[in-house]
Amino acid sequence: MSILEVKNLRKVYSSRLGGNRVEALRDVSFTVEPGEYVAVMGESGSGKTTLLNILAALDKPTGGSVILDGKDLSKIKESSVAAFRRDNLGFVFQDFNLLDTFTLEDNIYLPLVLAGRSYQEMSSRLAPLADRLGIGDILKKYPYEVSGGQKQRAAVARAMITDPKLLLADEPTGALDSRASDELLRLFAAINARGQTIVMVTHSVKAASSAGRVLFIKDGEVFHQLYRGNDTDELLYQKVADTLTLIATGGRRQ
Amino acid sequence: MNLGFYPRLAADGIRKNKRMYLPYILTCVGMVMMFYIIMYLAVSPSLDAVKGADILREIFALGSWVITVFSAIFLFYTNSFLMRRRRREFGLYNILGMGKGNIARILVWETVWTAILSIGLGLFAGIAFSKLAELGLTNVMHGEITFDLTVSHLSVVRTAEVFGVIFVLLLLNSIRQVRFSSAISLLRSENAGEKPPRGNLLLGFAGVLLLVSAYTLAVSIKNPLSALLWFFVAVLMVIVGTYLVMIAGSVLFCRLLQKKKGYYYKANHFVSVSSMVYRMKRNGAGLASICILATMVLVMISSTTCLYFGEEAAVAQRYPRELNVNATFTDERDASGEPLKPLREAIESIARSHRAELRNVCAYRYLNVSGAFTPDGEVETDADRLDRFNVSVLGNITTFCFIPLDDYNAMTGENRALEDGQALLYAYRTSFAGDTLTFKRGLTLQIAGTADKFLGSGSAVIDVVPTVFLVVPDIYTTMEKLVEGMSEETEQYLVMRWLYQFDTGLDAEEQKTLCQELRTKLRDGGEQLIHFEGVTVGAIECRELEKEQFFSLYGSFFYIGIMLSLVFILAAVLIIYYKQISEGYEDQARFDIMMKVGMTRPEIRKSINSQLLTVFFLPLLLAATHICFAFPIIEKLLRLFGLNNVSLFGLTTALSAAVFAVFYAVVYRLTSNAYYSIVSGARENA
Repeated sequence: MSILEVKNLRKVYSSRLGGNRVEALRDVSFTVEPGEYVAVMGESGSGKTTLLNILAALDKPTGGSVILDGKDLSKIKESSVAAFRRDNLGFVFQDFNLLDTFTLEDNIYLPLVLAGRSYQEMSSRLAPLADRLGIGDILKKYPYEVSGGQKQRAAVARAMITDPKLLLADEPTGALDSRASDELLRLFAAINARGQTIVMVTHSVKAASSAGRVLFIKDGEVFHQLYRGNDTDELLYQKVADTLTLIATGGRRQ
Repeated sequence: MNLGFYPRLAADGIRKNKRMYLPYILTCVGMVMMFYIIMYLAVSPSLDAVKGADILREIFALGSWVITVFSAIFLFYTNSFLMRRRRREFGLYNILGMGKGNIARILVWETVWTAILSIGLGLFAGIAFSKLAELGLTNVMHGEITFDLTVSHLSVVRTAEVFGVIFVLLLLNSIRQVRFSSAISLLRSENAGEKPPRGNLLLGFAGVLLLVSAYTLAVSIKNPLSALLWFFVAVLMVIVGTYLVMIAGSVLFCRLLQKKKGYYYKANHFVSVSSMVYRMKRNGAGLASICILATMVLVMISSTTCLYFGEEAAVAQRYPRELNVNATFTDERDASGEPLKPLREAIESIARSHRAELRNVCAYRYLNVSGAFTPDGEVETDADRLDRFNVSVLGNITTFCFIPLDDYNAMTGENRALEDGQALLYAYRTSFAGDTLTFKRGLTLQIAGTADKFLGSGSAVIDVVPTVFLVVPDIYTTMEKLVEGMSEETEQYLVMRWLYQFDTGLDAEEQKTLCQELRTKLRDGGEQLIHFEGVTVGAIECRELEKEQFFSLYGSFFYIGIMLSLVFILAAVLIIYYKQISEGYEDQARFDIMMKVGMTRPEIRKSINSQLLTVFFLPLLLAATHICFAFPIIEKLLRLFGLNNVSLFGLTTALSAAVFAVFYAVVYRLTSNAYYSIVSGARENA
């Protein structure tokens, strides 16, 4: 059974007076199987972020449905959405979204504290995770004291500490230099190898080519998708780049 | 509207930052109004009718200075909040091509608008309320009420001048801030996070030490004179201590909380504790200011109300009879009853001519000597031999009042007998437990019993030092022995006095006329009837006349106390409001992140409540502690004003604290709502 099912998703933004209607998503359908690593690609304005916001239950679709692990997101009551998000989804953002009033450790604990877990449980969960992410020795530091790559790894730890069903990443490499980006992508691949389902929105070819499957969105629809199969990162990179060229030059779907 | 570009831009800026500007302008209006009212009352012609108008005017003039200084400091403080919010906007203008000069022009116009609005509205409100204030004042002072509304041009001009100068200073300060920062730093200034402060153990410890010693000082002082001396020291220690404890101590406290994992890692403490520790340095100063202001308000209101409502009793204690005649003997060695007879007859005949019945007559001779108890328990009466700069000596100064046994027996109707060298003793506001009382190099008295406590009234009530009454069998020998221990200089002040006090059975007006007549007919310099051999007539006091003095003095204290309290409350409220609002804007992004991570709205509300509760009630709690420890020292200070009523003071203190707490709670609700709407608004608008 798929862990995530997106069916005929539609999202229309209308200006306050109802005059200007912009169709961000026209008709998006896809599924994600447990343990998959999916990258969603598209140009700016193609609807990527809207899609992610809907997947994260931060936004409501105009039509269609999102079913996460058998639960329809639109059926969840407004009051329990936040709790649902906290328990089932993990987020990694482009600009890290770490709280500057907390140490990295406390930032990572935040979702668990909100869920009312005990300190013993939290620290026993963090120890192996921090080891794997290589942030064990900077946990007591504040965000402004560490580098971008370290901040992003702390953000990944925060997303992972709840054992989410789905890890959502929005341009996770967007604010990182190339070395830190490479490191983060290796990390994602490793996490995925241990069974974590990941959906990542990006427009970096490099980032997309580390995924197991790449979805291309254009004008609010899924335009094309590529499976890695047995391809190496380099080969997939070439294919992704070719597809992007095709989209950019206005090719039609074959 | 055909306004220039800059005036319009400035007006827009004010309108768009309503949430910040409105309270600021309201504060300015409030300050201007208060200042005008006080200035108006100081020159108001209707005060002429009130007794003691000159005291009143002086007190009001003083009050207007307090308000001026306070307004200046306070408006600078609130203006800094405004500027912090506006800097981003100015940074943007700067990047878009406006020079610093252009920004300065906007600032000038903004100041002009604010000044016009606040001085205009403030004067309007001031004029509107000045009559009410005047009525309140005349009522408090028991004066006569008139109903004509007047506008004092002098006060209007003074108010405009004072606040004009304050606004110019504010403007210069804002321009200086913009002038010395680059466009980028202006743009980013709001986001410049502070480094998390490390709790400073030493400072926090020093603060606690200061508070504890100030408290000990306040509690251990026994005597009003040393209370007066130490009061300001204690106040200073408390102020510095409060700031240190709030700034360093609160950081330490939060750090301790963070160490307690079981407490810290709970949804409702987690966010508030961490954001408080992060901003505690600024927070601490704000909280300390709120605490000091709250304490000031409570002290002011409770003591002035107590004075005002206790004055009836205080006057009655100071003047136990309706009329008092004081006289001194020209030669204390001839202080027998003889020279008094003609004086006494003169008083009685004048009183009878006013159809007064002389009732409750109380007359006695007495001899006042000041001395200080030395550590060996003996009394030193020679001032030169005392270490006058030693405060512990000052605390032991006592007035010794010697009364002849004959006069005492005549007054009380008792028939006590004493041997030579014996005395009856009554200690007023002090205690004496020994069997003998020894004056250095002279008199030694054996205490044979206790004198009646009726003596503890009259001038002893307003004496700053305690009094020991000694009833002695032979005042002459007593005096001779006393003199042996005195220097020649001190000896000169040794004067035998006579006090004659009685009730008349007349009404208040008649009492006053009788008093006036006694004054003109008995005292030197007037149309003196008789020259009394051997005695000089001193003060002739009438309780009703004195009461008016008391009323005008305490009434004006009361009044100005209420006015200043209003100003301080206004200030405390605004400090809280601005602190919360500006923190709300800073927290907006933070709560946005937390909602993304999975914090629910009720959780946000809860965490805000826990934070606000601490921020609001910590200072109130500390202020209440201050008041509790200040209570004994203020109670002693009130004695200097002739007030001797601990339970009344306790009542007024408790009442003002309760009223203040209720008011505070209302402000708390309003502020927390404003804060919540800012914080959660971020997500709704996103």
